[in-house]
Amino acid sequence: MSEDQFLDRLREDARQLQFEPDAFMTTRIAARVRARIEAAPTVSLFLARWLRPIAASLSALALVACVGVAWVEQHSTNGASLDSLSASNAMEISVDGDTYSVGY
Amino acid sequence: MDDDPLERRAIDQVKAGDAGAYHYLVSKYTKRVASIAWNIVRNAADAEDLAQEAFVKAYESMGRFRANEPFGPWIYRIVTNLSLDVVKHRTRFRHEELDAAAPAARRDSADLHATSNEIAQRVDAALESLPEMQRVVARLSLVENFDHAEIAKMMKLSEGTVRSHLSLARAKLRQQLADLYE
Repeated sequence: MSEDQFLDRLREDARQLQFEPDAFMTTRIAARVRARIEAAPTVSLFLARWLRPIAASLSALALVACVGVAWVEQHSTNGASLDSLSASNAMEISVDGDTYSVGY
Repeated sequence: MDDDPLERRAIDQVKAGDAGAYHYLVSKYTKRVASIAWNIVRNAADAEDLAQEAFVKAYESMGRFRANEPFGPWIYRIVTNLSLDVVKHRTRFRHEELDAAAPAARRDSADLHATSNEIAQRVDAALESLPEMQRVVARLSLVENFDHAEIAKMMKLSEGTVRSHLSLARAKLRQQLADLYE
């Protein structure tokens, strides 16, 4: 038998070794591929995944800044109220119909 | 290579973000992809997992796929590489896995229908006795009917290397199957 004849017959017999997946297997493969593809993130989900922590960080920074500004403002208000407190500490003394103010 | 307008349309739709259109490609190529995987790993469960993995991987890299090319050779290349990785991994851990190291012993009942007659079984056994690369190249050529250039692309080998593996495999097969092909 020539080399070509041998190859032709070998191919013919080997062709029977092709694997034929049954209907269950092909259905399972299709279903699993579909499930995994649908679970895959879309572009918007992908962007959201990155942008969400950035937005959260910016919000936290804004909150800290607001609290900080409020604290500073309150602190400076406290300074001002000391003056008013001191002013309110002034005592008025009335002696013989005359009123004297003691303090600032 | 077949020019399938439905395939082209499905590829365009998938590239445009329509995941549902991918089902056409999966259903068209599942059998061939599973058969390629099975012929390399020789196990139905692994072949099923590999086929699934190959389709998902192809979908994820669809952005890099050129729309005017046929999908077949691309998915065949992906599944071949994934299957070869499994075989390499098995070879590395073979001493832990099997003492006898007889690939046929690993086949489960789902595989048996592939070898329906005695001659095919003889050919199957002879193919399995070949060294790994010769075995894979011979199976892709003789069983799956791919030509040298296709096998070279699928296995990332030169055509010369494929020819060389095939020539050695053919000589061994002829020797082993001499009584069948006199």
